[in-house]
Amino acid sequence: MAPPVRYCVPGERLCNLEEGSPGSGTYTRHGYIFSSLAGCLTKRSENGALPVVSVMRETESQLLPDVGAIVTCKVSSINSRFAKVHILYVGSTPLKNSFRGTIRKEDVRATEKDKVEIYKSFRPGDIVLAKVISLGDAQSNYLLTTAENELGVVVAHSESGVQMVPISWCEMQCPKTHTKEFRKVARVQPEFLQT
Amino acid sequence: MSLPGHTKCRTEYIRPKTALLRKIRGSRSRALPDRALVNCQYSSATFSTGERKRRPHGDRKSCEMGLQLRQTFEAAILTQLHPRSQIDIYVQPLRGVVSLQVLQADGGTYAACVNAATLAVLDAGIPMRDFVCACSAGFVDGTALADLSHVEEAAGGPQLALALLPASGQIALLEMDARLHEDHLEWVLEAAAQAARDVHTLLDRVVRQHVHEASILLGD
Repeated sequence: MAPPVRYCVPGERLCNLEEGSPGSGTYTRHGYIFSSLAGCLTKRSENGALPVVSVMRETESQLLPDVGAIVTCKVSSINSRFAKVHILYVGSTPLKNSFRGTIRKEDVRATEKDKVEIYKSFRPGDIVLAKVISLGDAQSNYLLTTAENELGVVVAHSESGVQMVPISWCEMQCPKTHTKEFRKVARVQPEFLQT
Repeated sequence: MSLPGHTKCRTEYIRPKTALLRKIRGSRSRALPDRALVNCQYSSATFSTGERKRRPHGDRKSCEMGLQLRQTFEAAILTQLHPRSQIDIYVQPLRGVVSLQVLQADGGTYAACVNAATLAVLDAGIPMRDFVCACSAGFVDGTALADLSHVEEAAGGPQLALALLPASGQIALLEMDARLHEDHLEWVLEAAAQAARDVHTLLDRVVRQHVHEASILLGD
């Protein structure tokens, strides 16, 4: 029998600071823990330490990409110096509104950065896994990097419109026309390989 | 939502292409390094008062109302949790049907905006210190009145707008631009505070019911 769920609203006093420690969705004032969201109260008790009191909402509020987060984005346009992308997912959470990001030429690869050609690394329409390195400057574009083995193009379509198969870290091949195209390919994690 | 009287408010907190909580657009110099920036805009629809009047977008009344809303919500939202971001609140009061009666009871736009915006911010999941409940109050013929209607506002007596954080009893915004004797201030303030607390009881009940229904629907 599930314990009765307790709902709380902002400003509601939950408990004393001696009975629990504040988690997400709460704040402390004058030695008491108050709720700051409207949702369900959850108490997670760690062994030994005080239970963590937090308020959960069913629908996650808007998630912002943080520095160091892995994001999934779609390339919207390319330039000789950088590629502009739309950030679609943060981790595995889809975003309701996409953010803009930029992958600079020197952030595409970890080695031989000056010999990178964006045209041979990304094309418009590619789905890319990247990591956020900075919240960006005046144009409010996130700065992203793909300079790791696990980052780079995951899904790309060839010029004939067919989804391509990766054959190495820098090439993908179209299964229909057998033409090879250059991309900066992400190394697929072993758990995602179907054998 | 509509309050007693006929003031109805619609709060847009998510527009099709913009997010409520987002990074600062435009001049980055406005970004605060340690907290979020709260931006409120008030726009009135052309049919919202007795006569149909087209209002320019950046006019004085809208700007002032936006500023008051911003001050109110900066006091209530926990802005430290979202540094270098911007929270936008757009409020647009509506008045559904223009009745044939000359006397329309619809005062208290600021109070309606604040209450509606509280619900919107709550629904968007932005952490807040407490509800913000607002009410207007006035002083007519030796009696303190709460939640003034349009007729009472137009009568020209002193009017007070109060925004309260009910749990702690703290005042987020108190505004009056008229002359009121200091002996009467306490009564008028108490009347407004009591009305705001009543609004809080109502909102509390509605929000709890909504959260309960939402969690049932999502099969929690």
